[in-house]
Amino acid sequence: MLLATIVRLPVTYAAPIMQRIPGRQLLVPAALLPLVLFAYFCTYLSEIISGKTFSFAYSWVPELNINLAFYLDGLSLFFALLISGFGVFIMVYSAEYLRGHPLLNRFYLYLSVFMLSMLGLVLADNLICLFIFWELTSISSYLLIGFSHDNPVSRSSALQALLVTGLGGLALMTGMILLGNVGGTYTISELLTRGELVKSHPLYLPALLLILLGAFTKSAQFPFHFWLPNAMAAPTPVSAYLHSATMVKAGVYLLARFTPVLGGTEVWQYTLVTIGAITALLGALLAVQHIDLKAILANTTISSLGVLMIMLGIGTPAALEALLVFILAHALNKCALFLITGNIDHATGTRDFKVLYGLALNMRPTAVAATMAALSFAGMVPFLGFISKEMLYDATLGAGKAGFLIFSIVFISKVVAILIAIIIGYKLFWPRVSEPTPIHHPCGLNLTIPPMVMASAALAFGMLPGIMATPLIQSALAPIAGKTLFIELKIWHGLSLGLINSIMTFILGTLVYTVHSRIIEFSPRLTPLYNYGPNSIYQFFVTGLVKGSSKLISIIQSGYVRSYISAIVLTMVGLVALSLWNKVPLLNLTQEIKMLHDVRLYELVLLFLILPGLFFLFKTHSRLIAIAIMGIIGYSVALFYILFGAPDVAATQLLIETLTVVLFVLVLHRLPPFRFISHKSKRYKYILISALFGAMMTYVVLLVKQYPLHSELKQFYGDNSYLQGHGRNIVNVILVDFRGFDTLGEITVLAVAAIGIVALLRLRLEKGGKR
Amino acid sequence: MKTLVLSVAIKLLIPVFLFFSLYCLFRGHNHPGGGFIGGLIASIAFIFHTMVHGPNRTITSLLKINLYGFEHQPNQSRSLFLMRMQRVKRWRRRCALDDKKSGKPDFRLDPFDLIATGLLVAATSGIVGFLLQEPYMSSSWFAFSVPFIGSIGTPVIFDIGVYLLVLGVVLKITFVMSEE
Repeated sequence: MLLATIVRLPVTYAAPIMQRIPGRQLLVPAALLPLVLFAYFCTYLSEIISGKTFSFAYSWVPELNINLAFYLDGLSLFFALLISGFGVFIMVYSAEYLRGHPLLNRFYLYLSVFMLSMLGLVLADNLICLFIFWELTSISSYLLIGFSHDNPVSRSSALQALLVTGLGGLALMTGMILLGNVGGTYTISELLTRGELVKSHPLYLPALLLILLGAFTKSAQFPFHFWLPNAMAAPTPVSAYLHSATMVKAGVYLLARFTPVLGGTEVWQYTLVTIGAITALLGALLAVQHIDLKAILANTTISSLGVLMIMLGIGTPAALEALLVFILAHALNKCALFLITGNIDHATGTRDFKVLYGLALNMRPTAVAATMAALSFAGMVPFLGFISKEMLYDATLGAGKAGFLIFSIVFISKVVAILIAIIIGYKLFWPRVSEPTPIHHPCGLNLTIPPMVMASAALAFGMLPGIMATPLIQSALAPIAGKTLFIELKIWHGLSLGLINSIMTFILGTLVYTVHSRIIEFSPRLTPLYNYGPNSIYQFFVTGLVKGSSKLISIIQSGYVRSYISAIVLTMVGLVALSLWNKVPLLNLTQEIKMLHDVRLYELVLLFLILPGLFFLFKTHSRLIAIAIMGIIGYSVALFYILFGAPDVAATQLLIETLTVVLFVLVLHRLPPFRFISHKSKRYKYILISALFGAMMTYVVLLVKQYPLHSELKQFYGDNSYLQGHGRNIVNVILVDFRGFDTLGEITVLAVAAIGIVALLRLRLEKGGKR
Repeated sequence: MKTLVLSVAIKLLIPVFLFFSLYCLFRGHNHPGGGFIGGLIASIAFIFHTMVHGPNRTITSLLKINLYGFEHQPNQSRSLFLMRMQRVKRWRRRCALDDKKSGKPDFRLDPFDLIATGLLVAATSGIVGFLLQEPYMSSSWFAFSVPFIGSIGTPVIFDIGVYLLVLGVVLKITFVMSEE
């Protein structure tokens, strides 16, 4: 885990260098990274299986309970192996799929960042840390989905995914903070032992609902499912990675992780089962209406995610076991099928299954892999898919009252799976046709090996479930169920109810296949229905937001600096007046009047520098003179700072004044000539506002001086700046050491502001000064 | 705004400004000064140059390094080769101002690079504490001190980051604003 943490830093630092290296040279390091991580996690296998857990913690901002804490148990290891293992194949696959793409290096970077964020998410042991990795996956998936950034569809899908998952992320953060406060700790492994405390707390319900919202958006549950099919605008390897083993499983992982803390209550069960059931049904129904292979697979992913949520909601040991096996099976099958779709797209240039025929003739290895993956997806003996399907059926039937209803939903989802499996595994490749679809690009080894390996893995897991899958699944089950359960996976259960159900599923699936073309013909008639779907609601909100804000801006942004300044000033005056409304403290000026006797000559000189300056400022008709006078006033203020013992502030003020004058001079010749266009009464208005502001500031400053300030801060910094900060200049020690984090935030803002300023100025220049 | 006095003066003053800014940067921990002030002083040097000569000239003469190759002849002595190289460099540098399409490799420092480097340096200085099993951005100091700079520690590195960033921000804004 130390390695996994440390490896993040070099990747971050390598980003600017990776930008300059051509993509094809990056394949080896990019594929080695997940491979090394996979091997590294494998070294923990034996100890995790024997029941050990590992935790590593580094303090980050301990005052805010934010620590970089990592925790490795069966569940995290299960997901970490999935993420890093699939990462290797995706990297290898992309090398050929995106061969010659000018931004391939950037692609590897995004993918590595995404993978590391996912790993961080499943390994995190601190609530805030988990949230940060959660958001990192959202951001990096935004970059991945919008990878073809010259395509507007791709951009808007990426934005949609970011907005939906980001919204859920905010809910999640609130839920996490509530959970941390309720449980009294932000460390997840400690929280896991405090389930009873959390569940009996009055804030349990809001925390649960917020966390569920976060998980539902990430895992594309109804009504947030719409971002997932749109996200297939990403290159196929990205869809394969995001939809199979990683992004969408994050929500499932989160809920599985928190099952001992939050799970088991009625709200949990009903919400998860209901939402999961709706999603599973909806995904299945949407999947049969599409002709684009990727859209079909994306919609079956939604359906599978719904099934996973149902299993979490049922929460019996059998259901949780089925959950884990299904996660593994689904990841293998779905990733393989997505990659095969990518192969077909790469070779023929289309993903419309109606125009694809007889592909096996020219794409033999892909065809074999497709058939194997489809068999596993359909749940055929002896693949892992079969075991998982049997377990799903058993778990739903054992779920009590609503068992049959849940069973029928899972059943429908599986019938659709069989239909899809027949299309991809058989119809596209094997039937003999006179004119097979022509192949433009042959598929190389990099394209055929990854799906082949995944399909073979599904076969191997299915043939030898006892050796290969049971130990890991068992150790992953323990943290969810809260106790160690002994499980046994086997391929042959005898002539049970499950087997009969499987056969029924197969028959029904074949029947649906025969009428599939009619369903597709019928589906355009459903289009009016989609106009009221969540996707349209999202579009409505987003376009409404853009229109509304442009209207608002046209009202409040007049473009005149004077109106902005007067708005700011009046707001401030109003706020001060509001807070002092009831009890206006009177000024006691005797002290100040006495102090007037002590005014030194040089202070008076400065005063006489400023006041005539102001007078000339009002009278002048030239910008240059106005700027110069402003400079004089600024310098005089800086001198005041020096007189009163703040040399740092004075130096900054002097430099800023100089820069302001210089910058003004630089832009001076672009400004229109100086004219008094406003009416005289308006000028009186501004004079009034200025006088009001000046009077208020004077009043407040005098008032503040009247009450002595009791603060230990000065004492603390004075005492500690040399001892702890190794510096005698307190201001600087505070800036770079004691409050260094604030300064870091400030300079980040400064950098972002500079980018914004450049963008704005460039925009003006490019449009030729037009608005 | 091309005045002879200013253009000669700024030529002489740029090194002074830069050294003074570094001086301010490093004395900041014990006396008035620091990364922010240092960065502003350094940027003033460039800004005056821009005022006199325009942003393009500033970039080509101060923020760009042209590299010219020159083949070593087989029967040429080493010292002669180096001397010629030096001569060519000086000669070509003057040419390069007019002849932009020379196609020779040049290294241009964009102010955005300064901003990025500054942010990177500042954020990285916090990681040192992290690697020593302490919270992020806890300071650590070397036991020895370097003449002219003083004691070296992560806050000093952080301040260097601030210096670079401020310099970059001011330069970028100036260049964009003064561009025609």
